[in-house]
Amino acid sequence: MTIATTTFDEEALGRLPAAPPFVEALRKQAFTEFLALPIPSQDTEEWRYTDLSGLELTFTPFAAGVRAENLDGVDEAILRAAGSVGERAGLQIQHNSEVAVSHLDPALAAKGVIFTDLDVAAREHPELVEPHLHALVPTSRTKFTALHGAFRTGGTFLYVPDGVVVEAPLQTLVWLDADGAAVFPHTLIVVGEDAEVTFIDRYASPDLERALSDAVVEIHTGPASRVRYVSIQEWGSGVIHLGVQRARLARDVDLRSVAVGFGASLARVESESVLAEPGASSEMLGVFFADGRQHFDHRTEQDHVAPACHSDLLYKGALRDESRAVYSGWVHVRPGARKTDAMQTSRNIVLSDRAKADAIPNLEIENNDVRCGHAASVGPVEEETLFYLQSRGIPRDEAERLIVFGFFQEVLDRIPVEEVREGVAEAIERELSR
Amino acid sequence: MSEPATLEVRGLRASVEGKEILRGIDLVVRQGEVHALMGPNGSGKSTLANVIMGRPGYEVTEGRILFKGEDITDLSPDERARRGLFLAMQYPVEVPGVSVVNFLRTAYRAVKGEEISALAFRKLLKERMALLGVDDAMVNRYVNQGFSGGEKKRNEILQLAVLEPEIAILDETDSGLDIDSLKQVATGIAQLVGPNLGVLLVTHYQRILNYITPDHVHVMMQGRIVRSGGKELAHELETKGYEELRRELGLEEQVGATT
Ligand SMILES: Nc1ncnc2c1ncn2[C@@H]1O[C@H](COP(=O)(O)OP(=O)(O)OP(=O)(O)O)[C@@H](O)[C@H]1O
Ligand SMILES: [Mg+2]
Repeated sequence: MTIATTTFDEEALGRLPAAPPFVEALRKQAFTEFLALPIPSQDTEEWRYTDLSGLELTFTPFAAGVRAENLDGVDEAILRAAGSVGERAGLQIQHNSEVAVSHLDPALAAKGVIFTDLDVAAREHPELVEPHLHALVPTSRTKFTALHGAFRTGGTFLYVPDGVVVEAPLQTLVWLDADGAAVFPHTLIVVGEDAEVTFIDRYASPDLERALSDAVVEIHTGPASRVRYVSIQEWGSGVIHLGVQRARLARDVDLRSVAVGFGASLARVESESVLAEPGASSEMLGVFFADGRQHFDHRTEQDHVAPACHSDLLYKGALRDESRAVYSGWVHVRPGARKTDAMQTSRNIVLSDRAKADAIPNLEIENNDVRCGHAASVGPVEEETLFYLQSRGIPRDEAERLIVFGFFQEVLDRIPVEEVREGVAEAIERELSR
Repeated sequence: MSEPATLEVRGLRASVEGKEILRGIDLVVRQGEVHALMGPNGSGKSTLANVIMGRPGYEVTEGRILFKGEDITDLSPDERARRGLFLAMQYPVEVPGVSVVNFLRTAYRAVKGEEISALAFRKLLKERMALLGVDDAMVNRYVNQGFSGGEKKRNEILQLAVLEPEIAILDETDSGLDIDSLKQVATGIAQLVGPNLGVLLVTHYQRILNYITPDHVHVMMQGRIVRSGGKELAHELETKGYEELRRELGLEEQVGATT
């Protein structure tokens, strides 16, 4: 087999900033996997909706960012992209391949909370990072996770010790403005027993010719912790976004996640919740809006391993122009997962007859003491509703926008944290008024 | 004041799915006038209301609709609304996730063609709500979602009060209301009626006409206006019923509209 030309070679690997030994070892191993693994083929079930056969892995492996002393030193445009989320317990900004600035409320640092550059954390807290990094998303999963493992720099490490409650949300913005570059956003969250935290990941860039975002999110939860995780993907056009997010829920964990997908030319995101111990509860909300020729491929998994867990998923998407979106979701109920309560709902509004949406729910139930359900719909905006709004003087396109906003409101209504709800609402408004 | 706005329906024929429902309607409603439109179920009253507002799915096969002297037959519904027409619907539609306030403010901006701050709009809305006895809770809810029949109709009238059209068609705004709600809605409409508003009031009942005195009453049957008169015509109908009128006019009883 011949290997196509790639910028991700041994030499590029050698040029990355030095890392602690365990990270260096991980890089080496992942690089070997990267060379060995094929670009996922559409012949496989997992990748059948996204064609990457023509993708040339010729991105700049490392693009320097501008580091800042503090937030005042950060560029206006970047701060704008971070959104006007009210109160924050911490904010980190990654510019291209490097973390530019990282801020955490000192009162929280005093309680043992760690919120920093993943590379810094790997040096300063290897005992916390090593057991968790790529534990949920192994580098060997696909060629892209291997690439991520080999070339990742920057990233976010968030650690909340047992019993600590972080009231205000923490946020990381990854800002990409180096055309032709690849970035590897990584969020590693480790939450202790009975702790509580809200974290927001944001990805943003101007429109670019071509760029790759190869992202991984790993969420480790301690028993009875309350974790809210939000991702807002607002990459500019030209960006290919491939993301894997996986959470492991311990006993009595309450995890609520929201995934917002607006940007990128092609976005393929896998979100997985593993209900590993009894009493855990996972809510997964999703909002996406595709226009132009955007291609979205969302895959979700609610994996019930332990008994007496609850999971509820609601993904709502709207499509315009010639965009394409596929939602496919799996609910797995393992043999031991008795008294499972799982629900999965996908709703799609298609605003143009050249746009196409598919919703493919899958249930795999291996015991019969469960309550499981799924619902999916794909359809246009009701003509009746449009007429009602138009009869009040609202032009058709604005009426459509209002209806779509209302359609997403159901998800907003389920976000309990006000700052988060407002942040998501603002992103939706920004997207709809483009 | 400038010349009153006038809605003119001239020789209007319209069909739905190839079936002719309106079979030659002539009607003129001027700003400041109240016209009651009555007639048995299925005679085409709502169809007329919808065609005037430009609802998709209806085909105008003959005749024109003029508003303020201009032909609006081919305009979009929103364009008609911005020119000063309004339709309170017999069956108001739910708009999930869109609050009444947000909906109304968007409509207000579109119709008035001017920006209004959230605060200023709240103030205006409060004023109109007080006029109609609408409470705060309702305007923060999503448009018509889970509304009772009475709330839906009150919401239509609130929209009328906020958008201030020159001609409004009220399609059975008095139907499905209990006695108290009817009184509230009817007095609300009565307060809005005046030199600046012309109304085409579609109704089955004499009751609402106790609150709003019509200048003209029209009776529609089988897609035509078969009789027009003053307010006494409504009383006459009440005692006579459509049966006798039909006999007088030599019309056959029919189920639905004719083909
Ligand atoms: N969208 C439609 N599709 C099919 N038929 C329709 C449609 N709209 C109206 N019709 C038919 O046209 C005729 C007139 O209906 P319309 O609703 O205009 O009557 P109406 O006078 O308003 O009756 P009511 O007093 O019951 O409200 C009926 O036979 C009805 O079935
Ligand atoms: Mg009717």
